[in-house]
Amino acid sequence: MTNKVGSVLVVGGGIAGIQASLDMADSGFRVYLLDESPGIGGVMAQLDKTFPTNDCSMCILAPKLVAAGRHPNIHLITNADITGIKGEAGNFDVSVRRRPRYVIREKCTGCGVCAEKCPVEAIDEFNQGLMNRNSIYVKYVQTVPLTFLIDRDKCIGCGTCQEVCRAKAVMYDDKEEDVVLNVGSVVLAPGFEGFDPRLKREYGYGRFTNVVSSTDFERILSASGPYGGMVLRPYDGEVPRRIAFVQCVGSRDSQVGNNYCSAACCMYGMKESIIAKEHAPGVQCTIFFMDIRSYGKDFELYYKRAQDEYNVQFIRSRVASIDEIPGSKNLKVKYVVNEQPKEEEFELVVLSIGMQPPKHAKELAKALDIKLNDNGFCYTKEFSPVETSKPGVFVCGAFEGPKDIPESVSQASGAATKATSIIASERWKLTTTKVYPPEIDVSKQEPRIGVFVCHCGINIGGVVKVPEVVEYAKKLPNVVYAEQNLYTCSQDTQEKIRETIQEHKLNRVIVASCTPRTHEPLFRETVREAGLNIYLFEMANIRDQCSWVHMHEPKEATAKAKDLVRSIVAKASLLNPLPKPVISVTHSGLVIGGGLSGMAAAQDLAEQGFEVDLVEKEKDLGGHLRHIYYTIGPEDPQEKLQSLIKQVSNNKMIHLHLNTKIDNVEGYVGNFKTTLNSNGLKSEVNSGTIIVATGATEYKPTEYFYGINKNVVTQRELEEMMVNGKLQAKTVAMIQCVGSRNESNPNCSRICCTQAIKNSLKIKELSPETEVYILYKDMRTYGFIEEAYREAVSKGVICIRYDDENKINLTQENDQLKLSIWEPTIGLSVPIEPDLLVLSAATVANTDNEETAKMLKVPLTKDGFFLEAHMKLRPVDFATEGVFLCGLAHSPKLIEESLAQASAAASRALTVLSKNALETEGAISNVNEDLCSGCKVCEPLCEYHAIEMKDVDGKKRAHVLEALCKGCGVCGSACPTGAISMLHFTDNQIIAQVRAALKEA
Amino acid sequence: MAEFNPKIVAFLCNWCSYAGADLAGVSRIQYPPSIRVVRVMCSGRINPAFILDAFKNGADGVLVAGCHPGDCHYIAGNYKAQRRVLLVQKLMEAFGLEPERLRLEWVSASEGDRFASVVKDMTAEIRKLGPNPIKMLEVED
Amino acid sequence: MEFEPKIVGFLCNWCSYAGADLAGVSRIQYPPNIRIVRVMCSGRIDPDFILETLIHGADGVLVMGCHPGDCHYIEGNLHAERKAKMLRNLIAETGLEPERMHLEWVSASEGARFAQLVKEFTDRITKLGPSPISGENPNKVILENLLAAKRTAGDFRLRVIVGRERELVEDKNAYGEKVPQEKLDELLSEAIKTEYTRNRIYNMLEKESLSVRELSKRLDLSTQDVLTNIVVMRKKGMLGVERIEGTTPIYMSLEVR
Repeated sequence: MTNKVGSVLVVGGGIAGIQASLDMADSGFRVYLLDESPGIGGVMAQLDKTFPTNDCSMCILAPKLVAAGRHPNIHLITNADITGIKGEAGNFDVSVRRRPRYVIREKCTGCGVCAEKCPVEAIDEFNQGLMNRNSIYVKYVQTVPLTFLIDRDKCIGCGTCQEVCRAKAVMYDDKEEDVVLNVGSVVLAPGFEGFDPRLKREYGYGRFTNVVSSTDFERILSASGPYGGMVLRPYDGEVPRRIAFVQCVGSRDSQVGNNYCSAACCMYGMKESIIAKEHAPGVQCTIFFMDIRSYGKDFELYYKRAQDEYNVQFIRSRVASIDEIPGSKNLKVKYVVNEQPKEEEFELVVLSIGMQPPKHAKELAKALDIKLNDNGFCYTKEFSPVETSKPGVFVCGAFEGPKDIPESVSQASGAATKATSIIASERWKLTTTKVYPPEIDVSKQEPRIGVFVCHCGINIGGVVKVPEVVEYAKKLPNVVYAEQNLYTCSQDTQEKIRETIQEHKLNRVIVASCTPRTHEPLFRETVREAGLNIYLFEMANIRDQCSWVHMHEPKEATAKAKDLVRSIVAKASLLNPLPKPVISVTHSGLVIGGGLSGMAAAQDLAEQGFEVDLVEKEKDLGGHLRHIYYTIGPEDPQEKLQSLIKQVSNNKMIHLHLNTKIDNVEGYVGNFKTTLNSNGLKSEVNSGTIIVATGATEYKPTEYFYGINKNVVTQRELEEMMVNGKLQAKTVAMIQCVGSRNESNPNCSRICCTQAIKNSLKIKELSPETEVYILYKDMRTYGFIEEAYREAVSKGVICIRYDDENKINLTQENDQLKLSIWEPTIGLSVPIEPDLLVLSAATVANTDNEETAKMLKVPLTKDGFFLEAHMKLRPVDFATEGVFLCGLAHSPKLIEESLAQASAAASRALTVLSKNALETEGAISNVNEDLCSGCKVCEPLCEYHAIEMKDVDGKKRAHVLEALCKGCGVCGSACPTGAISMLHFTDNQIIAQVRAALKEA
Repeated sequence: MAEFNPKIVAFLCNWCSYAGADLAGVSRIQYPPSIRVVRVMCSGRINPAFILDAFKNGADGVLVAGCHPGDCHYIAGNYKAQRRVLLVQKLMEAFGLEPERLRLEWVSASEGDRFASVVKDMTAEIRKLGPNPIKMLEVED
Repeated sequence: MEFEPKIVGFLCNWCSYAGADLAGVSRIQYPPNIRIVRVMCSGRIDPDFILETLIHGADGVLVMGCHPGDCHYIEGNLHAERKAKMLRNLIAETGLEPERMHLEWVSASEGARFAQLVKEFTDRITKLGPSPISGENPNKVILENLLAAKRTAGDFRLRVIVGRERELVEDKNAYGEKVPQEKLDELLSEAIKTEYTRNRIYNMLEKESLSVRELSKRLDLSTQDVLTNIVVMRKKGMLGVERIEGTTPIYMSLEVR
């Protein structure tokens, strides 16, 4: 047995890689995050907005980038490739080759003067070639690490960048470097490669300027893209009035060798058309599609909004070809509807390109000795969705198969659990914990402020007269020291600041330089190392918000810089040291729900060494899976279920509570107290976290003679019939979307199309001569399931579309069902007389969700499923910290998706459970009970339920639950008596800052 | 007479608008040096009293900028800001201060351009309105 | 009346100017059209001077320096040669005949050569006729183009490439390698083209805010070319969108930093 190593290598710095890294680093492991490109962020950084919330992509990604970049246990290795692997699960040696960057990361401040002066222009790949960059560049301005690099192919070596770099960061003799990383496991998250639309010659990409790819269009929409967010066509910069979106370019297409569906394009196509309309209100968007696959959580509502609110036109047809019209350069889109050839003119065409395996998938697979599937993506199994063929190597994100961001994020957290499970014994062994000197008590001291004004090379000093600002600062009240630095953020200046704090007995420190959003953590660290509380530090932003935006007004900029310094000095004089509240953690988890997800999550926590209470309201474990006898994959679900039940039941770390309900939940992250009720017998369970895995319910149809005619069954009943050898029908008809995608339940149930295909394949296997009809609205066999759909069609399963206009006509005569449906391609009504009618019943939310949600103080969606903290980036978290979500309780999903999500919930829980104590934010809300009138205005305003009313001497008083408060200050600004103050942003501090800003210099 | 250079206090939320202002800087988009930024964590933190105090102390304008609806880092703080700004504007009207001196804008972290044009626009408008009349009265604090 | 071209000669102090003096001392006759400007070194002659001279209606500009290897300032003349090459490329873009600018080496002892060269150049220019931007009806397009060229000649990027050209091609670059002359020529001509185009766009927009299509028409460039450059210029803060008229954004120039 080799020694295990408490570190993990994550390959790929997109959103999946970042999420996996953060989870593992937060739960006690050293992480190496490797990206082949010069900066992390992946494809998500290129996107303008994200569906279905239309959040700005960069706004939600940037905090994660910064968190990964600054994490003491995440080591970024960018511009590097994997070259080989040795060893075994628990102890690998991975060899990595780092390409030269020619810029020293420790020295580069990211100021960008080099690029401004670089005489060589090159194509900017990040902006899809629609913009230029220089030969010395960063991928994009928010990238992490914010270190420039030289494009050696373009660079002529003129030496200008080195001359203008005041930080002396340019190093032309940088060399390729080979390193060997000793890690316990590997997580692969290299993402995907967009399909090259040039390969669909008939669509004219690369030949016709006004045909762009969906990725190009994301950059066109982006406010920081080539056109500043105006929707323009590349040929002549006009705002297009008609835009066509062509779906399935490079997906569902055997001609190009990609039979699978790319899973995300329908949604992003709709998103791009909605955003295009928001940016250019007069534009008409038309989407050409085969099936709209809006199968995710609340996605169907998005589809409806696209139609109703944004008037997006949907045409069900595969586009045959696109021609350019000479002169206008408009495009003629040719397609066929109901066997009729049609054409329509557009000013811009967007090709919704599919996902392909990452460019270097084969090399990576070879280097790491893992298997790829037939489509070139990573090979995984249904019941182990994040495990590759090589033990100790895990996978997540689009490399596992095409998927959208929330799926990738869930899978990433899932992979994190599995990857650290095998090295759980090594937790906290390779991480670094810093020791700080004891904090100086400044409470009895008069403020002694030190001001450090930064030149930032020439970035500030070239506009603002820094020496003048320093002299000015020296005269301000409470300022005892002021100086200027070439780069205040450089390593040597940190040393100087520490010395100055000690020498001059400073008790407040101000840096006037760039933005606190990127640099406050660094300077806080510095003052902490000198014995000051971090809340005694403040920043004046005289670069990003002064010198850079007033470059031609040096006088005014200098005056403004003085104002900014003066006002922040006024605030700093009033700063108080704040303790970071520390809360203890109960090292065990509670999982509610004993279905597949609940059991998997419990098993994951137990394997990582934590005790788990698993609560199931029924007498048996297994939930939905008890009714699943086969899947479209090769594995046997019942066998898997039995083995999982056995594992869970025999695991000493897992305490089973069958026939048990939850009566009450109290407490907060780290310290939950839950009352269980087992047939009236009550008990209390303490836990640090709670995972909700309560599952969902199969809809009981009231349509199509269900319950009236014995020959009408649900898919689940059909499955049981087949398993028991009771299927005798010669003609089987299936109806999709029963109880879903209708008025009372507008959402799609995601799994029923797959279920129908699975069952029809089984019918054809059992009795090939049986006729099978599937009546569907859109065939939502996303991802690789598309291949099963193809197989079903090739085996003679007949799929006919119906919808709300073209309804199914069903009658019965003496129990004989008669069905007819209009088939537009043949222009006839097809009569079918099925012996068996199978209804694909929806998956709906449990009725008791509301009760559970109330106890946990978490929200539900309109249709009653649990609603996560953020649909995109926090798919298994709740806004309430310490409570997590997985499985069908979140929304309908397939087995592999439930399993990934279960492990994801476990991973998120582990970030809490693995710690002895949680340090929470110090800048939080604070109630002065003497002033509080108990009016309760604040309580409902808090989105985090961090304020509760407490009895104090018989009177109601607001009380802040420190562990829950996030420090937004909404309560403080509403409090009628001024009893609530927002620490670090108190009324006094803000007003002092405002007044000082307005004073004449 | 020299051109009137207004002083505008800008309350920016940390996560979207402050980041947007930073992006304007990173992209070197120029705008008038009229604003003095006060960073708060959330636009919902902004107490009407801060705004009134700023006017009382001679601000010619006050800009409140937060995340776009639906984007708030704290879920719904920006909606609360919206309500408060409307109320303060009513109040301003009542005591004869042009409500246009107070503006609420949504600026996301990727809208550096938009941030700059908001400042440009607002500066031009306040310039038209002239100095804060309260400042002329020299009210003692 | 026969056309008498106006020619300006930029002569280096140590060789060419001395050569011109020698022609005088030796009483060698040459046409009276040349007006001489003395500079210490031909390397001192900023492309800007030459363009300025042409913009003011000179029919020809003759630049003279020491023979290679003879430069009083070691290599000033070689730099002059690089600049002249760049300038010929740039002038060619404007529609003005590039032959109106000419570089020659004349040593202090070559009085006869000096006179001969002046005569030849004067003859050539006479044959070429008056500068299209001189006289009563100057060609406005070429004049505009020359103004854009002048701005281009002052561009940092071009000046860096031209200024470093010799070092990079003949000695070594920052990586200790020689840059092939073709690669540098390609880069330079690309840089000249794009910077010149951008300056034309900028100059045009300084007068009037215009759309991509209108700019393309007036500057005889493809709309795509105009748009690509507008994208870069917006990023550099040179241009902004003034308004959108229907479906057409109208761009305006911004004060260049």
